[in-house]
Amino acid sequence: MINHIVFIFIFLLGFYAILVKKSLIKMVIGLNIMEGAIFYWFIAITDRGGIIPIVQSTQVAFNLNDPIPQALILTGIVIGASTSAFLLTLIIELNKFTDSTNPDQLGGMIED
Amino acid sequence: MSKLKHISIVIILASLGLVMLLDLNKIPNQFEYANSIYHHITNNAVGETGSLNFVTAILYDYRAYDSMGESTIIFGAVSGIVLLLSRKTLPVSSHGLSFIVKRTYGMLTPFIFLFSVYIIAHGHLSPGGGFQGGVILGAISIIFSIVYGSEFDYKRYTPTTKTLLETSGALLFIGIGLIGIIYSGSFLSNLNILNSEPGSLLSAGSIPFINLGIGFKIGAGLAIIFYSMIQKTFKEEASL
Repeated sequence: MINHIVFIFIFLLGFYAILVKKSLIKMVIGLNIMEGAIFYWFIAITDRGGIIPIVQSTQVAFNLNDPIPQALILTGIVIGASTSAFLLTLIIELNKFTDSTNPDQLGGMIED
Repeated sequence: MSKLKHISIVIILASLGLVMLLDLNKIPNQFEYANSIYHHITNNAVGETGSLNFVTAILYDYRAYDSMGESTIIFGAVSGIVLLLSRKTLPVSSHGLSFIVKRTYGMLTPFIFLFSVYIIAHGHLSPGGGFQGGVILGAISIIFSIVYGSEFDYKRYTPTTKTLLETSGALLFIGIGLIGIIYSGSFLSNLNILNSEPGSLLSAGSIPFINLGIGFKIGAGLAIIFYSMIQKTFKEEASL
């Protein structure tokens, strides 16, 4: 139960940053916090209380953790890093034209 | 932002969290299934793939096609970033740190490279793999830019070399997949002809070679991303 509460708190913290903050870079940080919350939660609820899923030899080992969520989350982390890099690049390009990263001021500046 | 708007956002988020908390107990309990895919993999993965690391076995054998799509996403991100931030001339962003830092890092660089290659090559035996070792490989170029200045990084580890490494990594991955068609009739199937006893370095069929391709691809891709960004931002600071 504590896993769910911590996950929801971190997830909503990231969501709050996206809704409230005035800087696009802080919004990207909030998006990364939301991603991190989902990753930690997914690993936490699939925990079997075992050891890491790497065996020493060919004999069958007991009480391993589930390797499937770890592989899925590894994929998710890499894709999250790629999208963050691309979003930051878009913010760099936007900053060149507008000298601002505040999304409230962007509309008028682009039309000028 | 007005006070009222702020308070209303907090209330909406709190109610959203309450709804999520009430719905979370509908998640099925995956521990109660006796014959799940978890049991199949933990019992048969060593025999089927030869890899002692089950996460690597899933990433590069059972779900290798998905990993190829993932590396395609990274390729798309790198291409988009380079397209947005591309420019002709190279400004000198920084002249590096002091002499002591440069000498110390000069002695450390081969060991960092060796560590990254170790992480990549032992991906099927120990924790690590192509993605993790590739990030360390990309960090070498990032520390080059910081310690020696971006001009050194441009001369010693040119963008052409980075592009060549990234492309050859991707082509190695796809080439192994095509060899799998000839060998056993399906794309990216494990080349069991390369197997030896599980636990040795050249075991697990095609998994070490896919790891190598992914590692060079990720390392070069991250170096290209960092190089494009640092180039642009330092140029803007100089023009102010």
